[in-house]
Amino acid sequence: MSTRHGEQMMVEQIKAGNTKAFEAMVIQYQPKLLSSMIAYTKSYEQAEEICQQTFIRVWQKIESFRGDSALFTWIYRIGINLAKNNFASSYSKNSSNTTSLDISEHDISNHISPETDLIDKESESTIFNFIASLEMELKTAFSLRELEGRSYEEIASIMKCPIGTVRSRIFRARQLILEFMNQENII
Amino acid sequence: MEKISAWYDGEVTQQEFDSSLDELNASTETKKTLHQFALLSEVMQRQQKSSSKVQMIKDYFPGNNPWLSNIITAAATVLVTITILYQFDTNRFGVDDENQMQLATALESSEARSQLLSADQNVMDHLIHIMASNQPHGSQNISQDWIPVGFKQSQQNPAQFSNGRNNLFFHIENNKLNLTKVKYFQASNSWIYLIPLGDGRLLTAYGDVPPALASKMIQAIK
Repeated sequence: MSTRHGEQMMVEQIKAGNTKAFEAMVIQYQPKLLSSMIAYTKSYEQAEEICQQTFIRVWQKIESFRGDSALFTWIYRIGINLAKNNFASSYSKNSSNTTSLDISEHDISNHISPETDLIDKESESTIFNFIASLEMELKTAFSLRELEGRSYEEIASIMKCPIGTVRSRIFRARQLILEFMNQENII
Repeated sequence: MEKISAWYDGEVTQQEFDSSLDELNASTETKKTLHQFALLSEVMQRQQKSSSKVQMIKDYFPGNNPWLSNIITAAATVLVTITILYQFDTNRFGVDDENQMQLATALESSEARSQLLSADQNVMDHLIHIMASNQPHGSQNISQDWIPVGFKQSQQNPAQFSNGRNNLFFHIENNKLNLTKVKYFQASNSWIYLIPLGDGRLLTAYGDVPPALASKMIQAIK
């Protein structure tokens, strides 16, 4: 069992035309893609629009996904190409702009402004303080999963506990963090 | 919800995968939870990107040379902050943002990160080789045209050039990496420039010289 295995099941279902699987995939990858597109466009609205276009393309082109890369990498490439096309299009419309394309491209992904961020830095800091206060077992399992991308099997081996325990700990950590985020009105 | 958490991590059986999909389809609350799991992951990944936490090669080398020690730390940092790897186009001083973004995304998965680091292993090997070398670099091969304005050769170290505030070191050898574009890396306040020369050699320039200062040097060399 692994993340990649889960991804394969997801792709197979989407390729078979399972709209439930597609919707679940959109829910799963939307924050990550939106965050990347905000970084690229510096505009929440533009990023949202590109995300929508991207997922439409994903649905249309999923047959061509061979699994050579991670699914999100493939989705991201589609998104970034759409963003570039959008940018090139708006650039050509503003031909009076004398700044070179390269310079402009450099500028647009330099920073994410607080206004367009998914969660502001202050809230992020609050979340990390809360995570730091979690029980060691929960914090460790959750961090190994989210930061290191470890499989449950690897985490079980590291923490010397059954895979079922890892599963429970990661879930419990997520549950507590989300409850905290709700209490703090972060989400 | 524990099953949805495992589903989100791709750690479920086919049967659980199917039943989780049904649950997701049937419940708005479950969809909301899945979305929040994803949002939480994104927050975690962003935190990871903003802090260096891996020093893969730092302990591999002896730290008897202070500058070497610093640059090894820098090289190690390159491994984890490779998101800031840029490429100069052959005739423009521009930043390849697509590359940068792809790299940034690649870092979000350990598998992609591993592939990425593997792809750049030759570059890393080259950097490590240079940083670990105790031999004086061939300053006699350094053309004066390459030296940034205001920089002068150090009397103590012929491979070192300084403008009083910033220091630059040079190393030239055959271009075994077959680079065709200038690449540069930033790690903390250190910069490493890999500049393919027209005669098949590779100039490596490194030090605390930012691109704004190095751009003229790169243009002059090319």
